[in-house]
Amino acid sequence: MDPVERLYLDAMMEDPAVPAHSLRPQLLSGARARRRPAAPTAAWAEPYAGRVAAMDALLASAAEDDWSRVIVEGWTLQELVAHLAAKDGLLAAAVGAPVLGPPIGAADSASRTDDLQAYERARSPEQTRRDWRAQADALCRHLAELPPATPTTLDGLEVVASDHILARSLETWIHTVDAAQMAEIRLPDPIAGHIHLQADLCARLLPLTMFLSGLDGTGRTAHVTLTGEGGGEWRVALGVGDTEPGEPDLRITADVVKFCFLLGGRGDPGEFPAELDGDLPLARDILHAAPALSGP
Amino acid sequence: MEAPYDDRLLHQRVVGGDESALGEVYDRLSSLIFGLSLRVTRDRVIAEDITQEVFLVFWERPLAYDPERGTLRAWLATIAHRRAVDHVRAEERRRVSALGPRLFEREPVRLEDTVLAADEAERVRQAVTSLPDGLREAVELAYFGGRTYRQVGEELGVPEGTAKSRIRLALRRLADALAEEEV
Repeated sequence: MDPVERLYLDAMMEDPAVPAHSLRPQLLSGARARRRPAAPTAAWAEPYAGRVAAMDALLASAAEDDWSRVIVEGWTLQELVAHLAAKDGLLAAAVGAPVLGPPIGAADSASRTDDLQAYERARSPEQTRRDWRAQADALCRHLAELPPATPTTLDGLEVVASDHILARSLETWIHTVDAAQMAEIRLPDPIAGHIHLQADLCARLLPLTMFLSGLDGTGRTAHVTLTGEGGGEWRVALGVGDTEPGEPDLRITADVVKFCFLLGGRGDPGEFPAELDGDLPLARDILHAAPALSGP
Repeated sequence: MEAPYDDRLLHQRVVGGDESALGEVYDRLSSLIFGLSLRVTRDRVIAEDITQEVFLVFWERPLAYDPERGTLRAWLATIAHRRAVDHVRAEERRRVSALGPRLFEREPVRLEDTVLAADEAERVRQAVTSLPDGLREAVELAYFGGRTYRQVGEELGVPEGTAKSRIRLALRRLADALAEEEV
């Protein structure tokens, strides 16, 4: 900001004053009407509710022609939002939450995405946005009462409900960044507590991404240090059947957000900025396998 | 100038749909925003409306604010100033014509928009030059020289607290001088 303007505004603020009556209660109810807050949900689902609110804030500023612009996978913004709603709806079905939109036919992500994109194309972008948000909030409300360890199967993968919702959170986050980049808007990172839960999921997924890439990490252990807000340290047993990690065979140190995005298919494993130590070929294998679970 | 850590954190929380963060932003900055709106409009009711609207705009379009480009305080002040000036101009127009004023523009302000017209900026510069030397030097170092309060104190050979109170006194005088000219 121009120094003269900053000086001027500071001068104008030099006489703080208090309104006759507090505007705070009015403000908060007015705020709720203008933009829905993150849906109330269980603590373990809050990273997802937060990313949904952030995506919705981005969509609120999308102009008419933004909606028809291709973002990723050859999808327009409207189709991308329909894709998110499709996968959210499948998770909703898997945990017994209400499923909005047309009834589910084939319950795999690709088919449901096709179906929902076809359905939403006939609707306005604003309706698509509302449909997506309504599905996400319905899912959040349902999760508020669900035990986090509830076994849940989605796309043939059975893990606990809390991990599925963190995966939804990561995907919503990544696609919000995709859309924000297209609109040249800088999206702030989630708060540290939310990043940490995402990072924890990503660290725990490493044995699975290796397995899906045809690599057997049985009996081997990685020490993963993720730096930046929300980061931390993880000792990961690399075999899908391993129960306890042993002494680390290798160490990986990387930025926490970049690491999450690598798992989410954003970033080239060969160029990934990380400090590697110990068994370097194994460390590189881990990084190369990391995006294995990322789909559209 | 990048925003401080607190601004970034509050911004992250507001983008993530955390209502309590909006409450915290209000608690921290509402009296400044209300004070500014009141100075420009000289109408408590209108100043309350503007204050409310400023925080609502931030909640509704939090991505219009970019912490890389300035503080939250400056951002909200910019929106408040814009709306307050719009109100004053609309009132002036209403006095000369029967056309109803458009109180609030709906589109969010962008940070790169200028706050002051060229002649207004010139008036601010003039007001700075007519400050007593001690106050003027402190303001020039802090705003045009990009110094911290501590550095201003060092350069003027006074304690940091003195530098700070000189700058605040200067800001007050500036606000008064600018208000007088408007009458």
